[in-house]
Amino acid sequence: MVQLDASLLTPELAIAAAGVCPTDAITVTGDRTEGSLTFDAGQCVMCARCVRAAPTAFRLVSEPDVAVRSPDSLLTWVGWKGGKADRSGRPADLEPAQAPQPVEEARRLVDELHVRAMRIFSRSLHIRHVDAGSCNGCEAELQMLATPRYDLARLGLFFTPTPRHADCLLVTGIVTQQMEAALVETYEAMPNPKMVVAAGVCALGGGCFAGSPRRTRSLDRILPVDVYVPGCPPTPLALLHGLLLATGRAEERYRAGGTRL
Amino acid sequence: MSGLREIAEAMGLSAVPAAPGEVIVECAEEEFSAAAGGLAERAFLSDLFATATDDGHRLTAVFSTVGDPGWLRLQARLAGETYSAVTPAVHAASWYEREIAEVFGLIPHGHPALLPVRLHGGETAKLGRRRRSRAGMESIEELNETAPIQGQGVFQLPLGPVRSGPQESAHFLFTSGGEDLVMVRPWLGYKHRAVEEMAIGRQADSALILAERLAGTSTFANGLAFAQAVERAGEVSVSDDAWRARALLGEMERLHSHLASLAKVADSTGLTVAAAQYNLLREEALQSCAALTGHRYLRGILAIGGLAGPVAAGGLRELSGSVVRWRRRARGLEELLEGTATFVDRLETTAILASEYAHEHYLVGPVGRASGVDRDARRDHPYAGYSGLGLQVLAKSQGDALARVRVLLFEVGQALSLVEQLLSAELGEGVAAQPSLKAGSALGWAEAPGGETLHLVDLDGSGRISRWRARPPAAVNWHVYSRACASGNNLTDYPVIEASFALSVAEFDR
Repeated sequence: MVQLDASLLTPELAIAAAGVCPTDAITVTGDRTEGSLTFDAGQCVMCARCVRAAPTAFRLVSEPDVAVRSPDSLLTWVGWKGGKADRSGRPADLEPAQAPQPVEEARRLVDELHVRAMRIFSRSLHIRHVDAGSCNGCEAELQMLATPRYDLARLGLFFTPTPRHADCLLVTGIVTQQMEAALVETYEAMPNPKMVVAAGVCALGGGCFAGSPRRTRSLDRILPVDVYVPGCPPTPLALLHGLLLATGRAEERYRAGGTRL
Repeated sequence: MSGLREIAEAMGLSAVPAAPGEVIVECAEEEFSAAAGGLAERAFLSDLFATATDDGHRLTAVFSTVGDPGWLRLQARLAGETYSAVTPAVHAASWYEREIAEVFGLIPHGHPALLPVRLHGGETAKLGRRRRSRAGMESIEELNETAPIQGQGVFQLPLGPVRSGPQESAHFLFTSGGEDLVMVRPWLGYKHRAVEEMAIGRQADSALILAERLAGTSTFANGLAFAQAVERAGEVSVSDDAWRARALLGEMERLHSHLASLAKVADSTGLTVAAAQYNLLREEALQSCAALTGHRYLRGILAIGGLAGPVAAGGLRELSGSVVRWRRRARGLEELLEGTATFVDRLETTAILASEYAHEHYLVGPVGRASGVDRDARRDHPYAGYSGLGLQVLAKSQGDALARVRVLLFEVGQALSLVEQLLSAELGEGVAAQPSLKAGSALGWAEAPGGETLHLVDLDGSGRISRWRARPPAAVNWHVYSRACASGNNLTDYPVIEASFALSVAEFDR
């Protein structure tokens, strides 16, 4: 997983990193004197080119607790003006909410209620995996979960062959034209309550396949996604963190703006 | 066998200048099928594809032989939208020609069964601009109704595309009489991402990201074949040090991929302890890959012209200790498996793929080698720092699941021995920036865990990709899968069959 240390980022490093990023994970607007950088870990394919172009600011880390509940939490925004850090251009949705509006407050309460409801799965969660168009990297790591080093069964997590027994739909890959129907049917065959975990950048922002002519839509426009696990592919520990986060047994590490909670 | 140039000259075909190690033969449209058929009798058909050009299309068939490290490209300009099919003479061309019809809308006249391979609706995608059903292309539903298998008690059982565990999406239609497996019809293409098409117009180093993500468990081999094609087309030289490092990483990939295949075979026969042991070894290999390159599947370490950075010294030190331990454990596990009568009995004579059939389809990789097709790109088309390492290739003639597993077991030992030898070699530093690329066209190849992967890259003057064709091993080997399944097996053999073939769906679907 690539991590950005905003305090070490200079405009020169930002422009260098954005120049080598093969996906839209690092984007820069403006120039050296005034501008901003946005880093979206949900689009990062872990090629580590930014780590080589802008060392210190970008680093490869192997932290397991990278899963989040909202894709916004994977965004980091850094602005600068006249050689100094500047927060004035920061997008409002990356700011921690100050005084929430009634509608937003209601939405937050619904979300919180949903998160609490998902705790009924904290002792046992049956997972149905669907590969909606991956490179098989995510499946290779998912298969490692059932092996002695990780052993998901000891945590009360199980893969199940049938959607009728499943509580959780774990989706990998971009959603291709020929997999969308099977994906939706699998979700509909699952009993309520149920949750969806998106694993890997293809299932998040699409990664390097975001612009594939065979991709239909972003997964979270098709199904309600509860937890997002970044990575290309996500490591087995990151996948476990995502599943434990989904059942209320692990904490989130990041909030909007990419800062630690 | 004689060299490719001599074969071509004996057939009256004349070669034109090409990248080093390649012979390009241009022929007229109407001579293409006959020439391809003639060459296929004397050499291996390694690939067959079309390319859109300004004034129509170009058909390319690639041939290779054991004994000549080069490649022969037979090319023909195509003005219209039909051509005379190669398939009636060379059955191995069938799936390639179906793909040509599907992707470019070109109709190979005389093809016996022009069915879709990856696009289920019967549509054809004209690289970017999709067109609806053309004459001659049926949809997957129509196809399942053609040629039904009938008999007393015969029934059909569909499996997929959503499989039982965390597996790749693919559909298999079983026809069974209750016990015996009469027929298995695989339907792939669910995961088709149009990877090659997405590379068009991109700079080579940006397209390398896509090549590395063609398939997860053959990340490095496909990335390497692509990088090599770009380097050969753009006339970029790569240092011997970097080639040795590439060989080392390629063997690490073969190691973790083969260990996963062996774990699956053990699991399919109910040997959960053996499966767990192989998976533990695999996890250690993956962690070692991460220590060497920063990525468990070796992504991001390749660069056009060499490596993106040095292989980590700490990882190498750790690896030199691990290799000795892994070798001891792998040998111990192999002895235990070979000594387990239930395991050996389960695999022996299961899903036999006859040597003759395997040769007819120019199979590659462990699946081919288990059926007597003695080909290995590392030996037949030397490409990396393998020279002087005493590389051995095992080919067996039985063609059953046991032979495939024994090839895998042998290659795990080989990979460990090659890694051990390469550890003491000079591996070199990374390259700073992408070198400037000349316009050109060349092939690149590598021996992926599943077999030879062959890529073709056309570069324009500004170093951008104008055509990328990837032919990973699964694109060849899936063709014979149905036949091996129908060789007198039981329904309960199926998990063993699938595990012993270890074919990648992502590689096929692309």
